[in-house]
Amino acid sequence: MSEDEDLDLLALQRQLDDAFQTTRPRPAFEDELWLRLQSRRPFWQRFRAGLAALVGGIREAPAVPSAAVAILLIVVVGAGIFALSGLHPGGGTSSVATGTSQDGGRSFQPNAMPGFGRLPAPVSAPKGSSTGTPPPYTQYDASGTNVYLGPAKLTWAGHLEVTATNLPVFRYKDPTPAEAGHFAASVGAAPSGQVAPGGLGMYSGQNFTLVVTGSAAQPAREPSYNLSDLKSLGASSGGDPVAVATAYLAAHSLVPTWPYQTEVQTNGNTVRVRFLRSFDLQAQGLAGLVDSAGERYGIEVDTAAGVSGAFETGPLPLSLDSVNYSIVNSNQAVQSALASSATSAGAAPLPVVRLTNAVLVYTLVYAGDHSFYEPAFLFSGTFTDRGTTFIKRVLVPAVVPSLLLP
Amino acid sequence: MPGDRPPFEDLYRDYLGRIYAYVRAQVPTSADAEDITAQVFMNAYQAYGRFEARNTSPVAWLFRIARNATTDHFRAHGRRERLRRTIEHQPVAEDDPARMAEERLQYRALLEHVARLPERQRDSIALRHSGLSFEEVGVLMSCSEDAAKMLYHRGLKALRDSVHKEES
Repeated sequence: MSEDEDLDLLALQRQLDDAFQTTRPRPAFEDELWLRLQSRRPFWQRFRAGLAALVGGIREAPAVPSAAVAILLIVVVGAGIFALSGLHPGGGTSSVATGTSQDGGRSFQPNAMPGFGRLPAPVSAPKGSSTGTPPPYTQYDASGTNVYLGPAKLTWAGHLEVTATNLPVFRYKDPTPAEAGHFAASVGAAPSGQVAPGGLGMYSGQNFTLVVTGSAAQPAREPSYNLSDLKSLGASSGGDPVAVATAYLAAHSLVPTWPYQTEVQTNGNTVRVRFLRSFDLQAQGLAGLVDSAGERYGIEVDTAAGVSGAFETGPLPLSLDSVNYSIVNSNQAVQSALASSATSAGAAPLPVVRLTNAVLVYTLVYAGDHSFYEPAFLFSGTFTDRGTTFIKRVLVPAVVPSLLLP
Repeated sequence: MPGDRPPFEDLYRDYLGRIYAYVRAQVPTSADAEDITAQVFMNAYQAYGRFEARNTSPVAWLFRIARNATTDHFRAHGRRERLRRTIEHQPVAEDDPARMAEERLQYRALLEHVARLPERQRDSIALRHSGLSFEEVGVLMSCSEDAAKMLYHRGLKALRDSVHKEES
């Protein structure tokens, strides 16, 4: 090899060093991914980490990765939902078991020409990779159920009756930092600290810290607030975890004004109360809000026995527009669900899942600076593999295909 | 041995950029690179509790997950399409001006040449310039340290030829 050739290769190696050292993701990616990772932590871990950060002062939180950690030590990600007609401080009353408060008597106006145009279709949960570590096709949902996300052979053995021919689709526009600031002011908080990339604002009030974030694409997530409450409610809390959680929300006038069901999860001395949101479809009854994996979600309040304070994740008060869209009939919905049945996956045998249940739900569909809540059908069934029972969920759009973007 | 492994936060902070660069050198768009990098850290995050430092270093473990995820991506998205793009040298549309500027500034042309190398040569260069030793590259590529060096140097020469050919 000549000297020139050596120098040539050496120069190329330096260029490669530079290329690899300077090729980095966009600045916000680091924080966005960190948020996603944190959202997968069991809630009691998040709670303890958050509490530790609060006790030590949130400004002492590790600077890695930059602002996201500071936020996430006090944030429980993955829940927030909105009030349809606003989550007005001081405006909410509800029962504890099944909320009946409504969204201001919203009326759904029939509209032959869908005003939102063709809609993006709901996105199902990511299927994961086939060789990644660990096996990616299963996860636990919030209630500890084994959920199977991978391919399966599907059959249908249930009954689905669809009486509606059209249903409302709801649209919201992502809030601006100024709107987030108005919300913060309405709960008595003022700006504090630096806003993380992807965040709308960080605020503090008397005995609490508030973080407001905008929508996220993957997994789809609405703009939400995360409130870290340092104050113990003492006698007002009583022993009922739902009453305790409701009291914390009420202290900030954040009790949901939409229909909900409550769910209590306990792990050790930490308790999470979930206020699972439903949409009131009037004649069609209530339809639960689910994420892309088909899991219901809503406001969450985390507390721990013997520890002051709570962590509350909830919706921003945003206004929604609604327009009616034609929906598929029951047969079309079933066919759509079965169309996702896998035929083969190489050497590994596919699980065979008998779908036995189907319900009308709503799911968030992210679309940039505005997003939609769209009706969908959630099919589910179980199968057993080596002694473990898994649930398989299939989410299919309810809106007729011709009104969905390809 | 949990005591032997660094907190995951440290791993994330120290290696996110390097994993991204490794992936980015092999896929046509930064969006693909972000997706794969996210998958890498999701998988790593879930598996970190079972990671044992005595068997391998955290960085080698992380790059193994990255290699698997990149391979999965190619399987899922069609190697044929990727090759077609590479051969035709079609820039993939990226309409974010900031991102386009980033691409221009960050040696995209050179990395595109890397992406066109034969798979094992490409991998050896990407791993080596992501900061791994030849020994680590060899372990990840299931070959000896010497074989890894050979692959790397062959790849380097092929890269030089590719760059020169385009310049001429």
